[in-house]
Amino acid sequence: MTDGAATQPGQDAPDGAPDGTPCGPIRRRVLAWRARARPPLAWIGRITRHQVRFALVLIGAGWGVLRESLRPNSWRRTVRYEFRLSLRQVVAGGFLSTVFTATLAGLTVVSQAAYWLGFAGMAQMTGSILVSLLVREIAPVLVGIILLGRSGMLSLTEIGLLTLGGQVRAMQAQGIDPFLVLVMPRTFAFTVGGFTLGIIFAVISLLMGFIVTHATGVMNMSVWTFFSDVVTAMSAWDFLVIPLKFILVGFFVGLGSCMTGLLVSQDDTVATLMPRGFARGIVLVMIVNILFSLEF
Amino acid sequence: MATSGPMLELRAALPSFDESGLAPVPFDLRLMPGDCAVVECRDPHRATLFADLCCGMVPLAAGSVRFMGLDWQDLGDRQLNALRGRIGRLARQGTWVDLFGTHLNIMLPQLHHTTRPTDEVIDAAMTLGQAFGFPGLPVSVPGRLSAADLARAACVRAFLGRPDLLLLEDVSDALPADAMLPFLEAVTAARDRGAAVLWFARKASIWYEYRKAVNVHLRLLDEGLFVMRGV
Repeated sequence: MTDGAATQPGQDAPDGAPDGTPCGPIRRRVLAWRARARPPLAWIGRITRHQVRFALVLIGAGWGVLRESLRPNSWRRTVRYEFRLSLRQVVAGGFLSTVFTATLAGLTVVSQAAYWLGFAGMAQMTGSILVSLLVREIAPVLVGIILLGRSGMLSLTEIGLLTLGGQVRAMQAQGIDPFLVLVMPRTFAFTVGGFTLGIIFAVISLLMGFIVTHATGVMNMSVWTFFSDVVTAMSAWDFLVIPLKFILVGFFVGLGSCMTGLLVSQDDTVATLMPRGFARGIVLVMIVNILFSLEF
Repeated sequence: MATSGPMLELRAALPSFDESGLAPVPFDLRLMPGDCAVVECRDPHRATLFADLCCGMVPLAAGSVRFMGLDWQDLGDRQLNALRGRIGRLARQGTWVDLFGTHLNIMLPQLHHTTRPTDEVIDAAMTLGQAFGFPGLPVSVPGRLSAADLARAACVRAFLGRPDLLLLEDVSDALPADAMLPFLEAVTAARDRGAAVLWFARKASIWYEYRKAVNVHLRLLDEGLFVMRGV
């Protein structure tokens, strides 16, 4: 039998190790150092977790969207309705902005590239340079920014206000899963919209560039030859990577906007929500583009 | 799905105060199919929290809440959502999604949880809407409707689709007098079909006309749920 001063399991002895053995000055120094190091380590851990939280949420939600979308039971009438509504908003809403931006890109990038390549006697490289510069690098970034600004911020605000107003909780009380009804269809609408707007952007920018260079006499080939040169300059990887970039940019812009809106805290307002959503969206667009640039 | 046991059963259900705000006292309640319990509660927020507790939205520290014999805590997300689709809920506020028109808000649970043809759902909603005083179904967004019309629309949504449990929060301050009779008729019709009804009221005068048909009269206070004798 032990007396009352005996230590309990897991409790440090008054002057030593957890097992009750007396400890020397080194041991005491280690314990003191550990006690001092714990708060800053906890702070670093907290900051790290806070910083990577959204990335982890995004990975989980992305997996959730893909998994749920494979269940036929997920595509109910309400989900299909929301998908149609969002798709119309993303594509029709972003169409004019895409056309306008693509025209500007065509007038500047394509015409300048064609002019200076012709000037340098490297006109045969026009196709490959346009593909690698405009279609593969610039178009996904600009389309991502159009998607984010024109539709992503709208989704973010709508879902954020629903969450703050308690409507998301009310939907849950009715057995309507907001992830299924709001996040999944909108993410897929952004994915389809990203691809659609991306292809529109690529075609229009190339076409506008051709029209300008043709009209100014820099380029004398026909439009069919010009597009044939561009397509010929594309490698097999380009045919895979370019659509994949458009699709992934749309997917992550949609998912990021919806999840930022769904995860608002009670302290958030539109003033705090929108800058955060925009910054996250831009980072996502850049990450998708940089990852593909590094890989391929 | 018919149930021979209690439709709603709270057995020493102790809500988690940190996550709900509801007083951490054990709640006991047993509602059989066709029963109507009136819960008098002066605080509408507390009534909403208790309704949340009944539909499994509030985490429990102890005890259980069962609906149609199924414990909310034992169910996965999909089962939870499907089961909540069988509850008709008349909520005071925060239930209207301004992304859709009011007609879609009304039909949303039915369109989501059932495979009933859309036309059939529309017809049923129209019939109920007319009973509650609408000329048809309001299609403008809920934010543009008056409080009275929103209360009517909330009634239509709660009674639509033959729910097995009705959680009716007190909207008597917004509901026009001409909609009170259809409300009581809808409650009676639902009970005749076997639904259990939990009706929250802030004062006795609200349910006085229906007192003879009420099975249980309860009072919801901070200290818990108490059975009352008489009106």
